[in-house]
Amino acid sequence: MAISGKEREAFEKKLEAYVGLDIGVEDHSRNPINAAMIRQWCEAMGDENPIYLDSEVASGSAHGGIVAPPAMLQAWILGGVAMAAGEDDPADKQRELHRLFDAHGFTGVVATNTEQEYLRYLQPGDTVRARTVIESISEQKATGLGIGYFINTRSVFKDQNDDEVGSLTFRVLKFEGAEVPAEASGDSGEGSPAGPPQRIKPALAHDNAWWWDVIETGELPIQRCAECGVLRHPPRPMCGECQSTDWDFIRSTGEGEVVSFVVIHYPEVPGYTYPLVVAVVELSEGERFVGNVVDVDPGDVSIGMAVQASIELVDDELKLPVFRPVSV
Amino acid sequence: MGETRRFAEVGVGDALPALPIELTTSLIVAGAVASQDYTPVHHDKKAAQAAGMQDVFMNILTTNGLVSRFVTDWAGPDARVTHLSVKLGTPNLPGDTMTLTGSVREKDDAAEAVVVDVTVKNAWGNHVTGSVKVILAAGD
Amino acid sequence: MPTTLKNEAAIVGIGETEYSKNSGRSELALASEAVAAAIRDAGLSPSDIDGMTTFTMDTSDEIEVARAVGIKDLTFFSRVPHGGGAAIGVMHQAVMAVATGSAKAVVVYRALNGRSGARYSEGVSGGPTTSDLIHWSWYMPSGLMTPASWVAMFTQRYMHLTGCTSADLAEICLAQREHAVKNPRAFFYERPLTFEEHQSARPIVEPLRLYDCCQETDGGAACVVVSPEWAKDLPNKPAVIRAVAQGAAGNQESMTSFYRPEIAEIPSMDIVARQCWEISGLRPDDIDCAVIYDAFSSIVLWQLESFGFCKKGEARDFIQDGALRLGGRLPTNTHGGQLSEAYIHGMNGVNEGVRLIRGTSTSQPEKNEHVVVTAGVGIPTSAMILGQS
Repeated sequence: MAISGKEREAFEKKLEAYVGLDIGVEDHSRNPINAAMIRQWCEAMGDENPIYLDSEVASGSAHGGIVAPPAMLQAWILGGVAMAAGEDDPADKQRELHRLFDAHGFTGVVATNTEQEYLRYLQPGDTVRARTVIESISEQKATGLGIGYFINTRSVFKDQNDDEVGSLTFRVLKFEGAEVPAEASGDSGEGSPAGPPQRIKPALAHDNAWWWDVIETGELPIQRCAECGVLRHPPRPMCGECQSTDWDFIRSTGEGEVVSFVVIHYPEVPGYTYPLVVAVVELSEGERFVGNVVDVDPGDVSIGMAVQASIELVDDELKLPVFRPVSV
Repeated sequence: MGETRRFAEVGVGDALPALPIELTTSLIVAGAVASQDYTPVHHDKKAAQAAGMQDVFMNILTTNGLVSRFVTDWAGPDARVTHLSVKLGTPNLPGDTMTLTGSVREKDDAAEAVVVDVTVKNAWGNHVTGSVKVILAAGD
Repeated sequence: MPTTLKNEAAIVGIGETEYSKNSGRSELALASEAVAAAIRDAGLSPSDIDGMTTFTMDTSDEIEVARAVGIKDLTFFSRVPHGGGAAIGVMHQAVMAVATGSAKAVVVYRALNGRSGARYSEGVSGGPTTSDLIHWSWYMPSGLMTPASWVAMFTQRYMHLTGCTSADLAEICLAQREHAVKNPRAFFYERPLTFEEHQSARPIVEPLRLYDCCQETDGGAACVVVSPEWAKDLPNKPAVIRAVAQGAAGNQESMTSFYRPEIAEIPSMDIVARQCWEISGLRPDDIDCAVIYDAFSSIVLWQLESFGFCKKGEARDFIQDGALRLGGRLPTNTHGGQLSEAYIHGMNGVNEGVRLIRGTSTSQPEKNEHVVVTAGVGIPTSAMILGQS
């Protein structure tokens, strides 16, 4: 539970004192903008834009000569190997603010947004330095990760002539609860379990496990009353017509028609591909089944459309009936 | 690297060619090193695991570099990026694939610039969503 | 012994917490505050209360709320299942208890941290193997796992058969937002919505867009039900319950009844509406305004048809020309509804129904002899008709 009442008021009063503060630390490029670091960046990014590496093409371009990739802006001032030690500059007001959050239970931190503006592209020989201001701290928010506060910082980059060349705004969420590494996660709030994400598995129990066993064999079963022959889906233990508890099943042809459908955009659950089409399909045997319609533009799905089921692996482990439009 | 794309020939709604990129430890570490970002979680698997992740994960500068490259690959050498803005989502981990897609959201006639909306997906969902504003070459 | 539930009970007090995205306190705290406020509003003290009822989905036990508020001996307590479908089911419990003498004063409540706590938009997923989870297993592997996705399935079919469009859904959202703009309790207080904003909002589950979906809210709401005789001695104008009923039609699944011959209608609400007219002896023409459950915009249309305000499939025509707005045929969701005031699982709608009878809504229609109040649809559901004493 987040702090509340007087304690929260006092905490938020302390936060207010940080808004508008320069963090007190100036970062500067340890080397002038140079071809070696540009090449290393372009190789890592697979960026073959000739304006970064080929002086002949660059001179003939709108840029008039070699320039540095704009997204490198922050790279020129980062600390390099020393960062691995993870030591804080005691004068750094931003670190001090984070420690204040930590002390009040908001130990989690996650970067949520960055915004960069580039006034000009840097050229070899330029140097840059940046000063950072704590621009704003949000009111307390309920987020997917928990209760917390968003901190906005803005760094302004200037060159050797004291002219502004660009800026970087950065938004982080300090939230209550587990330590999550910066940049690790935004919306999902999840860590990363081993392996690629899989679909949600069905829960198996006495009345439905047999159905999934048949699916494993590549057939689409429909439960049938062994007494009066009436079909039923989803499976249940008793026939609603004659109350018999004896049953067997038939194998559906998988031919069907769309009764209704939806196109899911939100929320995006790992293991599924969006937009995701899910339809209620009436099988030719008369029973209905809910499943995905695949290999079709969502805009082309329509009520009444003829579809054919096939049993397929939808991830590494799960077999499921999926439907494809039947071309007529 | 494509031809120079001219402002006049671009329309709102134009889609950029999708760019799938295999995520390897090499890419993630090379990106971190090239951006001078030696935060351990981006190059040291043990440190990443101690932080609750299964492996090293891509830093923001590399993501920004790839998003910027995605747009300039399309816009050509005469283009100049002026704004890059992203909302961060699911982490990029080795073994996964990130796929960048984008389309032109608006044209700024005065600046001869376009705003491209970019979505980067991986197996866990949206790695980032955002936009890039880029001044295109004039003329036709 | 009464033979029907007509005029056997009245709502004499209503209470609620503020509605927010982050209450900063427990659901039990919200429930207790709402209950205490309702008892105060009724002019009663906690020791007058001897009955309590809420939703099965509520996390605050009746006895815990009773202890927190200072309610003493209870002679009646119960719960109603199926999420928002319980919104008037709980009123049904309260009225039955008062009518039979099982309790003299029943407090009905619902409180949730619907935004800062567990969010329904995130959908159902794994957990222990319950019958509920086995049910959802027919849908989760294919990705159908949120209320929006279930309701969208019925909506698509309804639109296909009736010619209803997203522009028709927009009218519901716009009418309700017009009301919310005047309601200080509402999340969208003083924040209007335009047709263009509705139409250009991102799709959540097609055919539903962002503003077709209700909010997620932290908050609690409660009301107090006593006999009409006792109500005469209490300070507030009572809202007399003319009729109250529940219904679950055949072949019902909780929210995924995709197996009926036609899925573009909600037969459970038809059953409820038929009972409401039978018990009250009223007709649709007698109803001046309404609080119609609106977890999603489209479900308002089906209920207008269930209650016979228009013919089946013609709700889109009924709502044209501002029928749901002040001055229209049936001013509806005058608090802004769950789309624009707050999502308290329909209990905030009960309180608005009472305000309409009292004449104290922030969007008060001139005529307020009778008000229909409904619960969630697509699920086993419930509704009531309120009237003047």
